[in-house]
Amino acid sequence: MNMQQTADGAAPSPDLPGPSDGGPGRVPHHVACVMDGNGRWAQSRALPRTSGHSAAEATVIDVIEAARAAGVGWLSLYAFSTENWGRPSNEVDFLMRLVRRVVRKHAVFLHARGIRCRFLGVTDPRIPPKLARDFDDLMTLTGDNRGMTLTVAFDHGGRRDIVEAARSLLRSNTPAESVTEQTFADHLPYPDTPDVDLVIRTSGEQRISNFMLWQVAYAEWVFPPVLWPDFRASHFLECLHSYRQRDRRFGGVLPNEIGEPRL
Amino acid sequence: MTIPDAPRPGGFPFDDADRQDTGARPPASDTGAPHRPLGSPDARFETFFNDPRWALAMIRATVLEAAHPTIGAALIDNSTFVTHPWRRLRNTFLSMQRMTGADEEARSREAARLNRMHARLKGTDPHRRPYDAMDPGARAWVVATLFESSVTMCRLSGQPLEQGFMEALYAEFQAMLAEMGDEPGHLPDTLPEFWQYYDRVVAEELENTEAMRVILYKLFDHLPAPPLLSGLPTVWAAGRAVVGPVVGAIAVASLPEPFRRRAGLPEMPGAQTLMQGAYLAVGLARFLPTSWMQPANIIGLLEMTPDSDDPRARTLAELQARMKRAGALLRLLTPLPDRPEPAAPPATAAAAEQRQDTENFFRQVLDQTGNGSLDWPDLAAMARELCSRLDLDEPEETRLYDAYAAWWRELQAALDTDGDGSISAQEYAAAAPSLAGPALIRVAEVLFDVTDRDGSGHIDAAEYRALFRTAFHRDMPGAGGATYTRSAFVKEFLAFMSGRQRTTAFDPLIAGA
Repeated sequence: MNMQQTADGAAPSPDLPGPSDGGPGRVPHHVACVMDGNGRWAQSRALPRTSGHSAAEATVIDVIEAARAAGVGWLSLYAFSTENWGRPSNEVDFLMRLVRRVVRKHAVFLHARGIRCRFLGVTDPRIPPKLARDFDDLMTLTGDNRGMTLTVAFDHGGRRDIVEAARSLLRSNTPAESVTEQTFADHLPYPDTPDVDLVIRTSGEQRISNFMLWQVAYAEWVFPPVLWPDFRASHFLECLHSYRQRDRRFGGVLPNEIGEPRL
Repeated sequence: MTIPDAPRPGGFPFDDADRQDTGARPPASDTGAPHRPLGSPDARFETFFNDPRWALAMIRATVLEAAHPTIGAALIDNSTFVTHPWRRLRNTFLSMQRMTGADEEARSREAARLNRMHARLKGTDPHRRPYDAMDPGARAWVVATLFESSVTMCRLSGQPLEQGFMEALYAEFQAMLAEMGDEPGHLPDTLPEFWQYYDRVVAEELENTEAMRVILYKLFDHLPAPPLLSGLPTVWAAGRAVVGPVVGAIAVASLPEPFRRRAGLPEMPGAQTLMQGAYLAVGLARFLPTSWMQPANIIGLLEMTPDSDDPRARTLAELQARMKRAGALLRLLTPLPDRPEPAAPPATAAAAEQRQDTENFFRQVLDQTGNGSLDWPDLAAMARELCSRLDLDEPEETRLYDAYAAWWRELQAALDTDGDGSISAQEYAAAAPSLAGPALIRVAEVLFDVTDRDGSGHIDAAEYRALFRTAFHRDMPGAGGATYTRSAFVKEFLAFMSGRQRTTAFDPLIAGA
């Protein structure tokens, strides 16, 4: 954990906990959001599902800004899973156009805020080439920024990433004995990404849905009932607050619980 | 002649032929020529050859060379100047630097290498007339155009040369031809006789060749961006659309009038004024700081790729990163069309992408001469590039050429379905997967052998740099950071040459403009 975090490119600002030790009162270093509930938000208003996606745009920008202001170093958003290709084709087409418009509209905003943008996944040939081009352009534009790293999981599947890492490991002819968790993680996409500390899944659903499986191993999860289009900065801060209340034990026990003096 | 990095008259990208003006024999003492030995300092020539007007004069000289039927045929068949002009520029320049440097051994080695290279350029032109790059008349003509263009460049920009300097300059060029190992007598002895010879060739021998038309009308309109600017294709294309035709018009207007008439070249109103203005304006560039105009610096910068190992590469990489970011921002800010474009069905899109990849590979890697089909000269050009990078001598050079020749026979047998002797893009696309046969593996092995100078069985950092001009890459397969094994090298070469993997060190080596 600590090794991975010191390896990340963005220098944490001094008022932050450096590599997060998981202790109470800390801002999580890496927050991930599963943006769930767009469709239900639209249906409850008797609108087409697509308008739920459109309404999600405002939340995305709000959350990015709130995370940055709170001192979160890494923010990951689950925008489109490998399973989402199974949705009706007009909804998929709409999403592709919407994402393209959002990326282009906010490129300068993201760059001006010093946010480094990355897209995780993006391998399916069904992704329109122009959208892939825009993703590349945004990554090129913001690649050297030193502020928060925003990872947008688009056409992402956690299992697929692990399979790809295994393939890459085999291709590099690594002997079986020398494969450790760390060397394996080095073959994942964006190996400098630290483990996720907090996952926020909106709309009350409580599932992992194949999201960054390797990185969420020790994550705390919160499930606010609010639908993603209604989720705002205040909700985000509440989630950070509830994270601070938790004891993260990483499978062990904290020293004060077994009566040993803390050093 | 003078300082090592002074530009030489032949220092221009286009032709293989203009390398011929530099020759095989070490200094001309055995011809009894009276001039100073090469490599001796002469400030007059140094200043003269550092003149930026050479850029214009060289285009003109190259056009005149290409109008010679023999040279034109050799160029059109063999030269890579249309598809890889910047690589050509660098190779020619390096070669000229060696040829005119003070080191006598390096000169004779380079001369021998050039003569070997040109001895390989033979064939027949479209009218079934044989050509041979070693033809002494043609070699003399190359030197003649270089001399005449330098005189003309001074006349056109209003600073004619004094008679004495002109004679010394002529002697200088005569010495170059003598150095090539050619028998004397192909260039006239005295300056007055030279002008008669020149006028006669212009009036009687020059033709409106295809190579000349390519240089005048195609090269500048299609000039690929130098590696430095490859991140900004739109900007490059826009600039080129304006500058290309202007350069062509300037070159036409500066050609001898009798030839323009005979070749049926257009007389455009104002072209003469434009041409003289251009020569005058470029002449003024000599008042810029010297280091700006050092051709060695300019050419190095144009040809350099950001991942190269040059000390300047970090600055350059930063510069290119900025350009890339600027390009990315520009594209992101370009407004989208109001109506969404109809998306192509995914299957078609994937197939189209595949086809595009195959086409790009054919155009950028295989078709080195840019004539739209794959022939022996394309593979020979690859072998030539590798030989000059690795600075090979005999017999390694012949081994590499032979391996390429065997690959060519294999390709021809496998892909030339209509039996016309060359492989078209369609024939290639239809059978692309069969590209990696035993002869190609043999090419990879021979290339490994000649790259592995010390025969250690692996390529170390210095050997790697000689071939790729860059340091080891972190992500290189099979490289524990220090060496490159035979199997990894062969594997990567095959993956690249069969078009399966484009992002390797081989890409800038073989496909770079």
